[in-house]
Amino acid sequence: MNRALLWTAISFGGLVVLAYVGLSILAGGPKDAIEMLRFALPYMHRGRLHVGDSAPDVPLVALDGATRFHIRERNHGRPLVLVFGSFT
Amino acid sequence: MGDIVQIYSDYKDHADFLTIYIREAHPLDEWRMKSNEKDKDDVCYVQPKTLAQRVAIANDFTQRFKFPVPFGIDEMNNTANDAYAAWPERLYILDESGRISYKGGNGPFQYEPKEVRAWLAQRYGQVKHAEPAPEKKS
Repeated sequence: MNRALLWTAISFGGLVVLAYVGLSILAGGPKDAIEMLRFALPYMHRGRLHVGDSAPDVPLVALDGATRFHIRERNHGRPLVLVFGSFT
Repeated sequence: MGDIVQIYSDYKDHADFLTIYIREAHPLDEWRMKSNEKDKDDVCYVQPKTLAQRVAIANDFTQRFKFPVPFGIDEMNNTANDAYAAWPERLYILDESGRISYKGGNGPFQYEPKEVRAWLAQRYGQVKHAEPAPEKKS
């Protein structure tokens, strides 16, 4: 095998291992790194909204599971703080 | 969520608040977190597949923590999550006219309730809290 190609492959492999170790430390363990890649990174993004944009008026469900309302219905004459999150 | 509840308590006379429950971050069947299982509150759920399951978890959360902040639940097609790039957690402030005045970073590393408090404090003044009493040495 071409010597340059061999060293390129070794360097690339080393970088992959280093990235995996770094991700494992960040995520909490080797298994967490895989799950983070699979379940978290596809959903994490900056989005297209910027300060000054009109806020999207999306529908939500109330705690009774039946009543629907829109975010902007809660935004009349006062600032509205939106807190997105989950339980886990 | 403790910081948010305190901010809500301090500024609810000036601003409106809305918590939006989105898809779970660490359900048992995805990126499972051992810390959730060890937690005294035992926060273990699978990712909801139906709206009824999502509503049930949201109710469990609000009841278990007596969560006082107004609450809404994202639809199962994740409309709110997608529109606001919210997952796993993110904060926004809309101004009186419905424009985005503050956009927080992606949680958990860039989730900063103190920035929301600073925004509200700049507009409505700081709310000071009594310092906790020093612990007595025995």
